[in-house]
Amino acid sequence: MTASTYVNDDRQNHLFQVNREVFTSQEILEKEKQEIFSKAWIYVGHESEIPNKGDFQTRDVAGRPVIFNRDRHGEVRVMLNSCLHRGASLCRHSSGNAKIFTCFYHGWAYRNSGELVNVPGNEDYKAEPAKVYEGLKGPAKVESYRGLYFVNFDEDAESLEDYLGEAKYFIDLVADQSPEGIAILEGTHKYSIKANWKLLVENSVDGYHAKSVHHTYFEMMMDLGATPPMLGEEIVNGVAPSGMGTEFPNGHATLMYPANGLPLATESVKETLAGMRRTAEERFGESYATAMFGLSRNSVFFPSFIVIDLSFGLTLRTMYPISPSETIVTGWQIIPKGVDEEFIKYRVDNALTFWGPAGLATPDDVEALEQAQKAFSTQAEIGWSDISKGMGKQMPAANDELQMRAWWREWNKRMTGEALPSEGKSFVPFQKQTTDA
Amino acid sequence: MAITAPTATVTTRTEVEDFLFQEAEMLDTWRLEEWLELFTLDCTYEIPATDRPDLDPGLSWSLIHDGRTMLEQRVIRLKKPEAHAEFPHSQTSRIVGNVRILAQSGDEVLVTANFNINRSKAGKFDTYVGRYEYTLVPTNGTFQIRQKKAILAHDKLDPQGKISFII
Repeated sequence: MTASTYVNDDRQNHLFQVNREVFTSQEILEKEKQEIFSKAWIYVGHESEIPNKGDFQTRDVAGRPVIFNRDRHGEVRVMLNSCLHRGASLCRHSSGNAKIFTCFYHGWAYRNSGELVNVPGNEDYKAEPAKVYEGLKGPAKVESYRGLYFVNFDEDAESLEDYLGEAKYFIDLVADQSPEGIAILEGTHKYSIKANWKLLVENSVDGYHAKSVHHTYFEMMMDLGATPPMLGEEIVNGVAPSGMGTEFPNGHATLMYPANGLPLATESVKETLAGMRRTAEERFGESYATAMFGLSRNSVFFPSFIVIDLSFGLTLRTMYPISPSETIVTGWQIIPKGVDEEFIKYRVDNALTFWGPAGLATPDDVEALEQAQKAFSTQAEIGWSDISKGMGKQMPAANDELQMRAWWREWNKRMTGEALPSEGKSFVPFQKQTTDA
Repeated sequence: MAITAPTATVTTRTEVEDFLFQEAEMLDTWRLEEWLELFTLDCTYEIPATDRPDLDPGLSWSLIHDGRTMLEQRVIRLKKPEAHAEFPHSQTSRIVGNVRILAQSGDEVLVTANFNINRSKAGKFDTYVGRYEYTLVPTNGTFQIRQKKAILAHDKLDPQGKISFII
């Protein structure tokens, strides 16, 4: 297959198209597993989810079951949740605290630092399993940035920091919201959608659909006396009310826009927020504090780690394919440490109003993606999807599609080897005055 | 003059069942404005996260934590054709059973019940199961709902994918 089979990046005519086969083909999915999910950096979890020695979380990451834990030495590990003997899951709890993981199948037992320490009937082996196999296997690389842990199954992968590059500033804007750091709130949104994983990636950084799909959400905000996103009048750190899209190397991209109003915020909540902002101003200067609290942003870190950083909530989500037309989605909420319960409740209420499988917005997104997936059966007649909006513009707005094109070019590069040049629209909306983080 | 005097009468399970069955019918027939009127002004309607049903939905990344204002907004929205996930409205059929009164004190009755809701929409058929916890306030021979909590017996929303209607 040639490159243009998947992506048509026609600079002359400002046309960008994606072949709909990429959403339905099993063969392409298998290649994605090899070329993307086994070679790109994949998000696993945040350090706050495993604060104490022995704490663990089990989850599926890029199609592999893993144990994400803090071992007996206090070190964070990611180990494949499969017994070296005959493959059964070592740990079937979703979270907990354990010194030893014992396989229920034949009883092989491993320390939480991975060493195989007990094999029932060990005397029957001429070659002792503990010597042959040593310990649990993990991904080739585990690295963290600001407490967020990622894995890479490729020995030759560049470091996580190099991979994130300039886009890591959008993680800083999250991690710097409190001097005490951030924590994942307990409780997880876990749901499946009947659509290709890439459709939800696109949707997560798509400002164009907001007015049409989330019309009812905007009306709700106005009912409650708040200005909906992208309908304000203020320019914030050079970002116009209509927002802007920006792209970074390696397929990371962000759309940003002046922060939404805060419906139903109490005086205490407003005070907490103002205090957070003052602290950020003292630590990093006004420009950075304004970027942090005066702008909202949706970022995608290639391939499928999404950070939705809004004035009223901070949502993380990942998506992995189960089949070409089925995706498992996991969502978390981040809370800056040191805030009171009233503030947490406010953030939860506001973020839930939009996000998640029972929010007033996400189910409508899912509906749109599932309807699209269904209609891809018309591929013979309608072969391509269009992602050209804002192409050739000096300054693409948040409701243009630059972010998606940047992501697709990386996807195309990894799948075909063909590197299409970026549109050169990388932008960081602040000056950071100190670097004490 | 007090309109409702504290009643010395004891609430029976049959009274509670009648009320819950009527509520179920309102939801299955999409009489949502009428359903909303069942709630007190200080009400909550909540669904905890599937992985942490034990936590306070207001302080964890739950699925729903609506006070009266948001509940009204949820209903207003669901009745609009632009509530895309529920256009046209899905068909639901729900069985509410195993109804038990757990406690009665002051002006409140604590109730638990199980639910089994089948939903069909555009050729897809999904089931939602779990347990309700209600705080009911006896009022004028019937009840008002102060709290309705639906605890799902699912470890994730797979294959349902969403909760776009009222559980």
